[in-house]
Amino acid sequence: MILILQALINGLMTGALIAVPAIGFSAIFAVLRYPNFAIAAYATIGAFAAWWANTTLGLAVVPALAIAFAVTGVVGVVAEETSLKRLRDKGALIVAIASIALNLVLENVIRFAFGNDMKGYDLPIARDLRFGELRIGPQQLQSLALAVIIMAAMFLFLRYTRFGKAMRAVADNPDLARLKGIDPARIAIVTVFLGAGLSGVGGVLIGLDTSIDPLTGYRVLLSVFAAAVLGGLGSIPGAVVGALALGIAEEMALIVTPATYRTAVGFVAILLMLTFRPCGILGERAA
Amino acid sequence: MSVGTGSLLTVEGVVAGYGAAEQILKGTSLRVEAGEIVSIIGPNGAGKSTLLKTIAGLVAAREGAIMLNGADVTAEGALGRARHGIGFVPQERNVFGAMTVAENLDISGFQEPARVRERSEALYARYPMLAAKRRALARTLSGGQRQILAMAMGLMNAPTLLLLDEPTAGLSPKAAEELFEAIMVLNRGGLPILMVEQHALEALEISTRGYVLVAGSNSREGAGPALAADPEIRRLFLGG
Repeated sequence: MILILQALINGLMTGALIAVPAIGFSAIFAVLRYPNFAIAAYATIGAFAAWWANTTLGLAVVPALAIAFAVTGVVGVVAEETSLKRLRDKGALIVAIASIALNLVLENVIRFAFGNDMKGYDLPIARDLRFGELRIGPQQLQSLALAVIIMAAMFLFLRYTRFGKAMRAVADNPDLARLKGIDPARIAIVTVFLGAGLSGVGGVLIGLDTSIDPLTGYRVLLSVFAAAVLGGLGSIPGAVVGALALGIAEEMALIVTPATYRTAVGFVAILLMLTFRPCGILGERAA
Repeated sequence: MSVGTGSLLTVEGVVAGYGAAEQILKGTSLRVEAGEIVSIIGPNGAGKSTLLKTIAGLVAAREGAIMLNGADVTAEGALGRARHGIGFVPQERNVFGAMTVAENLDISGFQEPARVRERSEALYARYPMLAAKRRALARTLSGGQRQILAMAMGLMNAPTLLLLDEPTAGLSPKAAEELFEAIMVLNRGGLPILMVEQHALEALEISTRGYVLVAGSNSREGAGPALAADPEIRRLFLGG
């Protein structure tokens, strides 16, 4: 029983961390209608930007996160405008493949600039909190709180701000949005900035939990993609639900399978969802 | 075909279509004067909806000219035409289904955020159903309610010309009658309306003028009631 409760807690923690880049992935898909696999590199870039701000400038986690968000958002917009945008009229598959190539290029730029070694943030070491036989790391709790705040901020942005509503309108019906005087190209830039920025923040939160290297983003790409498919591609609440469900499923799987099979959970989740409910848990369009 | 240069809207010899080779409109012309209701009727495939989409900027005109209030807007896309005061209510997918009624109105006033509150309150007063349903998702509305919302969304930018593409399509006779009444009320308030309508007889009867489009070209034009009473028009398009 304790094992299951601990897996549940760990799953929620993991899911909350995956949810942040999954929201970014889903937001880009909703507005631009293609899966941008370069979010893995954006997550890595965010992790390294925050690491640099933390270890070189001596900034605390929250300002380092803000820097990661801004740097990754700008990188995302530059990458989109200079490479992926030109391919949009060739179809979603072509852009998706190009985003994989872009991911490799950006990942190797990071490798060239920072090397292959693992790097850790300059954070105080703290003992795990104990609740009976359950253990939770203080850093995990902080990351969970940050993830929840970021998700709440994103929901408030989408529901109450002019640009947030415009993003939802373009995602729903770009032609109708244009008729209402909304420029989908401008909204696309805002969306890519937010989506890439959130992926960068996700990379930091994942890095805070462990350490970072040039493959930090790549390692969670499958989980992020699976979370988005599970929740319903293009659905922001779906990305959160999918990430939490996947996080719990991955941790529960560890009870009965070796850790090496953990990534298989993502594949199985995608397979089951596409077979039985292609639109995902909260999605309205088939993936 | 007479085309007035001082008209609110002038469409002159427009050629347009969807694919590179496909030509739906083959030199279509029309005009709308201030204060008019103008209807476009014709058989299926005549290019009526394509003409409205071309005027709204969703389909590019390959030849010809579109003038709004004397300004040449032919090269402008949908965004530019909206900014020039064209409000277009498409036949299908004309509301943001995943957003509430209130959000649909808010976002339709995107160009003038400072006027959104005032205009949406005025529309709630004009269409009490929208006020009652303001928190409902647009996709949960009935067909008639959805058309009223779509029309109200078209009014949020205070257009100088409203284009309606088959506004009564799929509506019950009662809902269609109510919608025609709403269109006439809008027009009596001074808003010029250009519409394509499947209920051709009813549309012509409330229209100042009408155009008959056949295979992408102008076939006839005249006063709405006169066209509605024309035996040939009735035989060809109205089944009468």
